[in-house]
Amino acid sequence: MTGAQDHNEDDTARAAEHVLGLLEGAELAQAERRLETDAEYRALHAMWAEDLAGLTDEIAPVAPPARIRRMIEARLFGAERKSLLRRLGLWPALGAAALAAGTYAMVTGLDLLRPEPVGPGLRAEIAAEDRSLVVLVAYDPAEPEALRVLRPSGEATPGRSLELWLIAGEAAPVSLGLLPEDREGRVTLPEDLRPLLPQAVLAVSDEPAGGSPAAGPTGPVLAAGPVTTL
Amino acid sequence: MSRLTEIEGLIARSALGDRAAFGALYDATSAKLFGICLRVLDNRAEAEDALQEIYVKVWHNAGRYEVNGLSPMTWLITIARNHAIDRLRTRRRNESRHGGGMEAVAQLADAAPGPEAHAVAASENARIESCLTELESDRAGAVRGAYLAGESYAELAERYGVPLNTMRTWLRRSLIRLKECLTR
Repeated sequence: MTGAQDHNEDDTARAAEHVLGLLEGAELAQAERRLETDAEYRALHAMWAEDLAGLTDEIAPVAPPARIRRMIEARLFGAERKSLLRRLGLWPALGAAALAAGTYAMVTGLDLLRPEPVGPGLRAEIAAEDRSLVVLVAYDPAEPEALRVLRPSGEATPGRSLELWLIAGEAAPVSLGLLPEDREGRVTLPEDLRPLLPQAVLAVSDEPAGGSPAAGPTGPVLAAGPVTTL
Repeated sequence: MSRLTEIEGLIARSALGDRAAFGALYDATSAKLFGICLRVLDNRAEAEDALQEIYVKVWHNAGRYEVNGLSPMTWLITIARNHAIDRLRTRRRNESRHGGGMEAVAQLADAAPGPEAHAVAASENARIESCLTELESDRAGAVRGAYLAGESYAELAERYGVPLNTMRTWLRRSLIRLKECLTR
């Protein structure tokens, strides 16, 4: 039999596991929901957060370098900080139709708070001739490990995937992986490919689910566009 | 004005977009949070990156501070700890893909505070350290490992050489005992 005491103990342990980050999957989802809806659970969770934060009492403060504060302030309040989107001119590209179609929330959801680029940013518009597929790609040197991808129009046909390719000069296309299923996301840019990016052409091909089984594209190239400097 | 009220006020003014208050909040709290980043990440460059991300989050979430029921330092520490742990877990996933890395993590987590640190802890209100001493040392180590090194049940089970379910059961039991001590 499960008494009130057991129930309390169960919640006590569960809230601690939650704060410690030990919950996963369905258990985590359920605990997150309870945090929203169950005041008693919320109080338990807060109590554990307070108690466990005490584990950091023995950690000595270390003054961070002065430049860190300047970097944070530049990032948040920098006078010449314009949103990356604005700098990339993505707003006009999206246009009124896209806004009406509900992409507004998607666009504002983009993290606009990237650090200032340390070198020139790069962008590419990969668009089909009839604009049934448009993919905007941005490279921010402050975040060199990934390309940011925005896809205002077009999507993979069911059971197929869209794959992104980098083509440098006469070289064979190199896969950059699948386009994110979400309309905005990131694609990893391997370090050895970064130097090739400024002169490259990016292309999107239609591939079997999960991507091309071969070294190069196997399906039709749906759209392509050159990388340009901002 | 006590330090806590002062920090609470700075968070509230930051929520209203007061940049000077945010600067003062940073000056008052960044050394503590940077110390936490350094401890968790054990890498200076990464801790500096993490600290930036943390204060960007603080600025954007200051408006939500009031509703979470946490004391201001706990709120800041929790943001810092969670962000540092997320980074550590990502790094560990990458390292385990290339083999190795786990031993260093276990050592870091095992490092219990020395006597001097205990004195500091006791001078604040951390009953948790004294309550942890009531647990078997390996169980206290598991709680520390989860909080300060972001270790998962699977990683803890591997470290202590017990089946996953055994790990869960004994950690849960330890947490309940810990709570009894903390509410005593």
